[in-house]
This record gives sequence, structure tokens and C-alpha cells, in this order.
Amino acid sequence: MSEEKTNYKELITKGIWKENPVAYQVLGICSALAVTVKMSTAIVMGIALTIVTAFSSMLISSLRKKIPSNIRIIAELAIIASLVIVTDQILKAFFYDISKQLSIFVGLIITNCIVLGRAEAFALANKPLASFFDGIGNGLGYSLVLITVAFLRELLGSGKFLGFNIIPQFIFDAGYQNMGLMVLAPGAFFVIGLLVWLKNSLPGISKEER
Amino acid sequence: MSDKTDKNSKKNVIVFALLLSVICSLMITAAAVGLKGFQTINMELDKKINILKAADLIGDKKPSKKEINELYHAHIKEVMVDGQGNIIETWAPNSLNLYFYQDNNQIKGYIIPINTRGLWGKIYGYLAFENDGQTVSGFSVFSHSETPGLGGEIESAWFQKNFKGKKILNSKNKFVSVGIAKGKAQNLPRDLQDNYVDGISGATLTGKYLSQGIKETLVKYDSVSVTFRQKQLKAIKDKQ
Amino acid sequence: MGDLFSLFINSVFIGNILLAYFLGMCSFIAVSKNVETATGLGFAVIFVLTVTSPVNWMIYHGLLAPGALAWAGFPDLDLSFLKFITFIAVIAAIVQAVEMIIDKYSPLLYVTLGVFLPLIAVNCAILGTSLFMVERNYTFMESIIFGAGSGTGWMLAIVSMAAIRNKVKYSDVPKGLQGFGITMVIAGLMAMTFMMFSGITL
Repeated sequence: MSEEKTNYKELITKGIWKENPVAYQVLGICSALAVTVKMSTAIVMGIALTIVTAFSSMLISSLRKKIPSNIRIIAELAIIASLVIVTDQILKAFFYDISKQLSIFVGLIITNCIVLGRAEAFALANKPLASFFDGIGNGLGYSLVLITVAFLRELLGSGKFLGFNIIPQFIFDAGYQNMGLMVLAPGAFFVIGLLVWLKNSLPGISKEER
Repeated sequence: MSDKTDKNSKKNVIVFALLLSVICSLMITAAAVGLKGFQTINMELDKKINILKAADLIGDKKPSKKEINELYHAHIKEVMVDGQGNIIETWAPNSLNLYFYQDNNQIKGYIIPINTRGLWGKIYGYLAFENDGQTVSGFSVFSHSETPGLGGEIESAWFQKNFKGKKILNSKNKFVSVGIAKGKAQNLPRDLQDNYVDGISGATLTGKYLSQGIKETLVKYDSVSVTFRQKQLKAIKDKQ
Repeated sequence: MGDLFSLFINSVFIGNILLAYFLGMCSFIAVSKNVETATGLGFAVIFVLTVTSPVNWMIYHGLLAPGALAWAGFPDLDLSFLKFITFIAVIAAIVQAVEMIIDKYSPLLYVTLGVFLPLIAVNCAILGTSLFMVERNYTFMESIIFGAGSGTGWMLAIVSMAAIRNKVKYSDVPKGLQGFGITMVIAGLMAMTFMMFSGITL
């Protein structure tokens, strides 16, 4: 067995850009959109998912030679669910306001395709440390998309950035109004569709195979 | 590779499953039990901040934990009342929770907890009154399950600020409660405007349920309102 | 009865679990290319939701909620933090049972649905419905109706999307927008149309 010198930095950057889970692999958008009304909730959600993916991939990878094949998925779900519960408890203890706004969506990290997807696609075939960084990379890629959508929705929908009003009053006085659609569900769908279009139009990015 | 057959043996599956369950349970329980103290403090703080918000004791800026506790300790007194509006010491089956807003040992107003059904789940909030027993001094919402952007607007400042100054009696001194209008309150007939706040566009049902819930709660607390109204009448008469 | 009916209509249209809360999107995108597959999966999801929602209700209110274990002599115990893991376990078990039933009674459907059947277990909409049910404090009857309503709403969205995507096949979609991009835009338009139901009072 040859010892491969895994390039950790490449693992992280791969997850963020070239193989960004949401846009390229079409994964994990479930909870992605509901929390993007504000940037603060999107940031916390992104961090929570990154931590869960990284640690679950690492744990599953370290057990990969021991997990019996017929309870593989259940074992993975058990590990992921436990990590999510711990994360949820920590949020309720130290970030109470945000956890109230995230409501059920922290729990939904369990069913988020990215976490289970990385466990199946990477952690089962690679070493723990590499899996950890792969989880970080994919988690950060997911967070990038989440925060971008949230930035646009918060700016256009309520004229704010991280909760602070940044559109000067004189623009409102001139007749500008906040785009209410951005605060509602359709706004999120449109923003993500257009972002994917933008990303696909940029050179050097792998496109979804049709 | 001999370990491939080993890991799939029935015995190994059971051992693995048991070990995994035990470790996961320990991890989860440790987190839940260990952090419970912090979580309870947070929930209590959340309740206090909303009572203070309803009583209009804090502005838009979020105060520190210490400030909240100090303000609460200095101004809010939690009591229990029975169906006739008398303060009671021990819990009885139909007793109601009430909060007095005090300043220099004088009762400036009272705050009623609202716990009503919404479109999706329950809406929990506080409705504060001035000591005349009929004018609303504030409203806050601390828990709801309404649709974000639509019914969820009940937690935003613009919606709650509109409650200030509204009355629960109409121009003929009959109890009508305060309700959420469909559309803007100023489009209603003149003599109804004091009893309604602006509705949230696209959230008529949330408004309907909240109005109903407030009315039902106020009916339960009617004796409290009557007591305050009588006290005020008496105070006015005494001055004459 | 009127309340339950109203809850059903609300969960199908105004609070459509997919178009308003974004839950259940992963399989939505992949399966909505074919109307027959979408319909089959839709029915499976309705069944799973109508069963898992009340079962999880019983487990939550009988074992996990604060004070639920009073019947066993532990009135002060609050095990609600275990709800994530118990719910997902119940869902996985029920989906496994549904798989076996479909395999026995309709092998054709089983083969058509392929890998998407076990994927129902990790469909956010299923876990999400159970979690919403807890958060909104529904009664037992409400949990059944809410489960059925969410499932119906999900199926409505997925079948409509499949039908629309079949038509869009003949349109000239810009290259960068093909596939995922245009699906998102269509979903946005669908979400807007479902929002119009919020103006209806029952």
C-alpha cells in the first residue's frame, strides 16, 4: 500500500470552488434556502454544517474498516445524528437567539445530503485526517453559497447587511422600496438559480453534466 | 482479506451496534445535561426581555444580561390572581399569571401573558397595559411558528409598536379587545380605529387567530382590567 | 372537523412543505424529470408521512417530552433532546417496511423508483414534518392530518414540476441555466403561485 501525500489544502479548495457541493453536485439545498433570509442565520448554519460534516467524516473514516456493511447507513446516520444533537445543544446554550430562528433546520442537518454524501463518497475510502479536511472544504463551499444567497436576500429584501441598515435614507425617500419578494420563498429560488447560471458562465468551472 | 468476513459476522454486527449506541448516548446525554444550566438561563432571560419590551422599558438596542436582570428586578413583580382579580399566594386551578410594572413602589401598569393558537403553532407573547386598565402600552412576541416574512412579521418592531396607545374599550365603554385589521387600521371607520392595529399583508389568517387569542385571553383577565378601571375612577373622584 | 380540514388545506397549499419551507428538494430535483416516477414517489412519500408523523407523535408525547414519563414514575425527566435520533430511526424503519411492501406488491414500481425509495428516509421533508409537528404542538389527530397534507403538498409540487420540465425540454434554455438553474427558476415561479392561496380564507 503506497503512502499518498494527500494535499490537504487542495481538498479544502476543491470543496469550495471546483466541486462546490450545492451548485455542482446539486446537494444539500434543502435547508440551504430557508435560513437565507438573514446573513446571521446563514453564517451560523454554515458553521454548524461544516463542523458536523468534518467531524462525522473523520469519525466514519476512522471506523471504516470496522462498520459492518448491512448496518452501514444506519451507523452513519447514528453518528451524524449524535453530532447534530450535540451541536444543537451547544447552540441553545450559547447562541440562544439564533438557535430560535434556526428552529428545526439545525436538526435537518442530519438529512442534509452533503453530510451523508461525503461520508459515503469520501470518508469510507480515505483516511480520517483527509476526510476531516474534505468535510471542511465541502462545508465551506456550502457556507459560501448559503452566505451569498443570504447577502443578496437581506440586502434586496430588507436593505440590511448583517442586521445593519446600509441603504441610506435618501434612496428610500427617492422612491426605492425594499423588494419584498426576496424575503419570501420564491426570492430564494430565483437567487439560487441565477447564481448557478453565473457560476456556470464563469470560465474554468466544471459544469453539471447533462 | 480476512477482516472483511470478520466485520460482517452476526456477532460483530451486534457488538458494533451496541458499542456505537452506548458511545452516542453518552455523548448526547453529556452535552444535554451539561449544557442544561446555560439553556435554562437563556430561556428565562428571553422571557424577561420580552416582558420588559412589552412594558416599553427597553428600546431597540439589545441590553446586556446584567442590565436585563437589573431592570426586571427593579420594575417587574410576578403575581398570581384568581378569577375575581384578587391577588393570591398559592396556586389554584384557575389562577392566572400577571406581572406588575412598578416604579418607586407605585404600580404603573400590568402585563398579561398571551398564549394563543396561530396559523401553524402557538404564539407566545406579552400584552402590557397602563394603570387605567384599558390602554395598551406595548406588545411583544417571543415564540411563534408563523411563516417567515408573512405571519412571522408579528415579531418585528413595526407591528408591535402599533399596539401602543390602542384601547380595549370602544367609544361607548364596552369591551371589544384590540384586534388586527385586514389592511391598514386607518381605513376603518373613525370610531373603530383605536381598537385595531395595521394588519400584515399576506398574513390575514395569522392576524385573525392572534386577534381571537388576544380577545379570549383578555376576557379571562377582565376582572384585572375592571379593578384598575375602578381604581382610576376612584382616584379621579378623590381629586374632585 | 373544520379545523382539521383547514389544517390540511393549509399544509398542501399555503405552507407547502417544499415550495414554502424548501424541504424535500434533493429527490425533488432528481426525480422530477419523469411524471410517472414522480407520481409513484409522491404516493410513497404521502404514505410514509401519514404513518411516521403520528408514530413519532406517540413516541415524543409518550416517552420524550418533558413530563412524558410520568406514567413510569419519572415526571421530571425531559428527554426531548433525543428526538432527532429517535425520529430518524423510526423513519428509517418505516421506509424499510414500505420498501418491502412495494417490492412484494408492485415489483415494477420498485424497479422504477430504484435508489430513490431508500432515499425517502433521508428526505428532509419527512424528518422536517415530524419536527414541525413537535414544534407546533399538534394533537394526535392534527399530526395525522398534517402528515397527509404535507405529503400531498410535496407530491403536488413534484408532479407539477415533472410535467413542466417535460415541456421545458422543447424550450431554448441558455446553456448556463440548463438543468439545475432553470429548475430553480421554475420552482420560484411555482412558489409564487402557491402563495396566492394565502389570500383565501376558509
